[in-house]
Amino acid sequence: MSSPSHTPPRTGQLKPKTDWSSVVLAPVHFIMGLADRPLRLLQKRAGIGGMAAFFLAPNMLIFGVFVLLPIIINLIYSMTGGSALFLSERSFVGTDQYAKLFDCKSYLDPMSCQEDAFWTAVGNTFWFVVLQVTLLILFSLITALILNRELMARSFWRAVFFFPVLLSPVVVGLIWKWILQRQGLLNFALYPMGFEPYTWLSDRTFAFAAAVGVSIWAHMGFYTLILLAGLQAIPKDLYEAAEMDGTKPARIFWRITLPLLMPNLLVVVVLALIRAVQVFDEVFVLTGGGPGTSTLFLTQYIYETGFVSQPRNAGLAAAASILMGLVLVVLTLVQLGIGRKNENKGKR
Amino acid sequence: MGSITLTNIQKSYGAVHVLHDINLAINEGEFIVFVGPSGCGKSTLLRVIAGLEKVTGGELSINGERVNDVSAADRGLAMVFQSYALYPHMTVRQNLAFGLENAGMPKAEITQRIGEAARMLEIEQYMDRRPGQLSGGQRQRVAIGRAIVRRPTAFLLDEPLSNLDAELRVSTRAEIAALHARLRSTMIYVTHDQVEAMTLANRIVVMRAGRIEQVGTPLDLYNQPANRFVAGFIGAPHMNFIEGALESSNGTHMLRTAQGDVLHLPQSVAPGAPITVGLRPQHISLSNDQSGFAAQVQLVEALGSETVIHASAFGTKLLAIVPGQRRISTGDTIYLSYANAPLHLFDQSGLRIATVQTEDGHSPTFV
Ligand SMILES: Nc1ncnc2c1ncn2[C@@H]1O[C@H](COP(=O)(O)OP(=O)(O)OP(=O)(O)O)[C@@H](O)[C@H]1O
Ligand SMILES: [Mg+2]
Repeated sequence: MSSPSHTPPRTGQLKPKTDWSSVVLAPVHFIMGLADRPLRLLQKRAGIGGMAAFFLAPNMLIFGVFVLLPIIINLIYSMTGGSALFLSERSFVGTDQYAKLFDCKSYLDPMSCQEDAFWTAVGNTFWFVVLQVTLLILFSLITALILNRELMARSFWRAVFFFPVLLSPVVVGLIWKWILQRQGLLNFALYPMGFEPYTWLSDRTFAFAAAVGVSIWAHMGFYTLILLAGLQAIPKDLYEAAEMDGTKPARIFWRITLPLLMPNLLVVVVLALIRAVQVFDEVFVLTGGGPGTSTLFLTQYIYETGFVSQPRNAGLAAAASILMGLVLVVLTLVQLGIGRKNENKGKR
Repeated sequence: MGSITLTNIQKSYGAVHVLHDINLAINEGEFIVFVGPSGCGKSTLLRVIAGLEKVTGGELSINGERVNDVSAADRGLAMVFQSYALYPHMTVRQNLAFGLENAGMPKAEITQRIGEAARMLEIEQYMDRRPGQLSGGQRQRVAIGRAIVRRPTAFLLDEPLSNLDAELRVSTRAEIAALHARLRSTMIYVTHDQVEAMTLANRIVVMRAGRIEQVGTPLDLYNQPANRFVAGFIGAPHMNFIEGALESSNGTHMLRTAQGDVLHLPQSVAPGAPITVGLRPQHISLSNDQSGFAAQVQLVEALGSETVIHASAFGTKLLAIVPGQRRISTGDTIYLSYANAPLHLFDQSGLRIATVQTEDGHSPTFV
């Protein structure tokens, strides 16, 4: 079946058209044909289940080397001390690094902790996650609702909102830095209106708000797209039925749209949470964690502890990242749980 | 309460004209059925009446009041959708209550109306289930129930039975007829199934390509179709059509087909004109002697109570339905007769000129 087959030209007459697809596919068929025999032999030996393992093996190998192994090494690092780079030169300290991270007089006051930067980062990250995810979901939902309407140049607006998602986080950070810095676009625009140039990013509150705002701007398109897909999956006739019943728009939203969008919304919330906890690149480029520690987030703390500070403290960084990993595992499990629940609902 | 008048209704989507000059007066309490082939504009017309689509011309009035600019909710109509459009996340009870709560109706009255509808439709045991946990037939009842509780001026139903299996369709059809008899409200019902139309309607509206072809009682349409389209659409299986030209000589009148076959007519209508004769399959009988016209059998469908014969004669395919079981097989030559049958004569444009009744002994001669 897979052998290359060329239909011979009909007797006497030239076929006006060459069947290009068979010409193009011929080498593909040839190569596939080469693999045929050894695979057949293999399947005879290994059975169907064995074949599955055979095809999965390359992927598992990559996953193992680049994901699983680093996690294990990270765990080992988190139980070692010193500033040496190689594990063999590091001393085993058990749970000392964790104890150090948790050494606090009061968990509500980062300054009472031995690793005050860690707790500052945890606090900042917490507030960042709460604010960013809430606003992100709210804006995405509103945008999706608007884009779901009969709108002039709807595809254009969809593209506009999705565009920032395509930018590299570093580019996002730079764009906004150029806008917000002292000699930036914002001050340039405000100056003619009589405002003195302001160092926006040196203002603690504004810098934090900018971190939240910029990361919302950068990621909103993605969530809007998912929510839009969810909105479009709601059958139109439900809205017509509601219209016939004289349902008010607010009631349509709360009683029909929102409940039917809930599966998508939950997925989006958890995805956004997972990404917000990991916030780093665009904010780091924008504020560098400052002014002071006002936009220092967990990932930056880990990065600086492990790679920037002198002496480097890989053990402490590893312990912090294990803790952060635990939070992410919990969130991922929640997401998987939601996915499974939706699947079951679909089956009913 | 419940009369609906359509005057010169037009509907177009941009350059696409879907409805052309629809004029129709629907009386209070009437069961009106819109039929027509797919894409002819039945649903669009229903949605225009419902207020889900705005007309682009003409006037629509309900109970004598112009409602062109009245919102769907304020027209007092209830719609049953082909897909049922039940809210999937609400229970049956919540689905029924939803529209009433919108109107701010007191709880006690809502409960009472829902209970009444549930009893009428025998869905009481499913009240706390969600639509996803119901069968198609049960969902269909809930959809009707949601319309009933609103006590609308008129019910609009868009192919409500098309998602049911054949058996359930027949029984639900009867229930809808009973419901109409009981509620006595105006019902407008869209279907492309002409049997549904014939069994349910007080009057049928036959549509084609956005125009009304004919309005009348089921038997009117069956016995006096206005044109060839209606004649072909109403009645199952559809009418046979034989084309030819009228000839008269020595007081006998006949239709001569292109092949030279001749079909005798009891009277002439427009001599010399090319016309079409329509003959229902049920009006063709087998003749025992060879007095009928000869036909070649192409296919025989034995249904037990009757036999459907696909034959060729007069240069065309001919369908005949004869009662009982017959020993006929493919390839046979049989003799058929149209004695005592109504023949519908259509002119070249398809309009019916006359319907003539043949008598005994009018059999064609072969020239
Ligand atoms: N929004 C629209 N824009 C353009 N054309 C439309 C629109 N809605 C319907 N039409 C056209 O209007 C015509 C009538 O559609 P309609 O749905 O009323 O047909 P119908 O008689 O209900 O057919 P069916 O039996 O298949 O349901 C169709 O040709 C359809 O393509
Ligand atoms: Mg339709």
